[in-house]
Amino acid sequence: MTKRNIEIVVPPREPHFVGDGFRVHNFIPGGFRLDMERMDPFIMLDYNSKFYFPPSETPKGVSVHPHRGFETVTIAYKGKVAHHDSFGNSGIIGEGDVQWMTAASGLLHKEYHEENFSKAGGDFQMVQLWVNLPAKDKMSKPKYQAITNADIAKYQLPSNNGTIEIIAGEHRDIKGTAFTFSPVNVLNARLSKNAKETFSFAASYNTVLLVIEGSIKVNDTETVETDHLVLFENDGESFTVEAADNSVVLILSGKPLNETIAAHGPFVMNTRKELMEAFDDYNKGKFGYLEE
Amino acid sequence: MKHTHALFPHHLPPKKITPSTFYFFLFTFHSALENFKTYLKEKAHLTVDEVAELTRELSVKTVGKSDFLLHEGEVCHYSFFVDKGLLRSYTIDEGGKEHIIQFAPENWFITDRSSAYFMEPSQLTIDAIEESTVVFLDNTFMEKARDLSKEFIRYNEKALHNFIRHQQQRINLLLSATAEQRYLDFISLYPDLMLRVPQWMIASYLGLTPESLSRVRKELARKNFKPQ
Repeated sequence: MTKRNIEIVVPPREPHFVGDGFRVHNFIPGGFRLDMERMDPFIMLDYNSKFYFPPSETPKGVSVHPHRGFETVTIAYKGKVAHHDSFGNSGIIGEGDVQWMTAASGLLHKEYHEENFSKAGGDFQMVQLWVNLPAKDKMSKPKYQAITNADIAKYQLPSNNGTIEIIAGEHRDIKGTAFTFSPVNVLNARLSKNAKETFSFAASYNTVLLVIEGSIKVNDTETVETDHLVLFENDGESFTVEAADNSVVLILSGKPLNETIAAHGPFVMNTRKELMEAFDDYNKGKFGYLEE
Repeated sequence: MKHTHALFPHHLPPKKITPSTFYFFLFTFHSALENFKTYLKEKAHLTVDEVAELTRELSVKTVGKSDFLLHEGEVCHYSFFVDKGLLRSYTIDEGGKEHIIQFAPENWFITDRSSAYFMEPSQLTIDAIEESTVVFLDNTFMEKARDLSKEFIRYNEKALHNFIRHQQQRINLLLSATAEQRYLDFISLYPDLMLRVPQWMIASYLGLTPESLSRVRKELARKNFKPQ
């Protein structure tokens, strides 16, 4: 297997608030060289780096909004989020859990800090990733995969040196937990200090890693600190991650869909016509109704 | 984006002035004018030379969210072409309540046309709902354009009649249409504004209370939501 080199190490951009509950650094598509075409099939990555929210009687969050044409994947590292949608679904995800929502043909939802977390206050740290859907699946039925940490497939490193959580895709012949519409790998590497692991994906797959905790050395040469993202070249398959401290690293690698993208706000379609239909359907209530 | 939306990529904070931001502004200036030039060529049928002559001294500005472009009582000296972002015009009644007259997203013009033409104090206030890039067109530009091109005169006359048609339609809807008819007319004119503007502003534009607008949307969802 050939080595996959680093293309660029991207520091976190200035944070901004989404609603009043998510203080995020946007990496995809706003970051340098991290546009939707380059990162295909990943179309958005917002990272709420560890941030203390003081106690609040009213849960902070994002009010009702629609999505169509893709999946939202919320990975919780600290804190708890509650969500509701226009189909009547609701749920709570906490530390280590993942919510994989296939918005597909469209729904309305809202996301807030879970009530007790909000009242107590505390550290909050999450990733929200948008994974594009292939054209043929964009108008499929919306669905959820509520994945608790206990359900996530795991590979244990030798000598208790850490765990690789295979949220989706594959690692060392262990299949990931989430169903995906196209080949997508989402891994959480929880590594003890000095632990080292090799990751390998087809060279054509667009690949990044994000250091959630600690600091790591990539390919034995490049030190990457907390909250920094690494974009890899598509020049080989394998790269190594060695933990300089106890570290948590999110690794994403996906096969490009190579389809045209027509995106505006919360709708990601293939053509401008489909985009206009999405706005019209939303305006006319075809995504349902959800109280603020 | 924002307009609060789940992790909207385009809701970015105002940037500090850094060397790279400076280049960004240069680029903004260039592209905003390019967009307006294309507009003049396509809609007003001006030639490349005429467009170059007309746009040589134009001013393009980036205005922040909530920045004012016109205050009530001032004479309006400009027509504003929105390259990027969103502006609105409104009046404020004696009780301090805002009544929105017009929204101007990308490629729209907004001004107080009568104030600019008759040089009278304006009844309108114009401000930015989002950070916006705006081309400022003054009377000198309009005079120069009229002198330069018959096509522009025809275009401007058509634009004026289109403006009158729109005003007439708006008066008619406000006097005689149901809340649902007003809302349906609004979404066909402004397809993406429900996601960019707080609902109370849209209710203000439609002459409805926010509660009535909410009822209209709930009723439409009841009729049109058909889960697979």
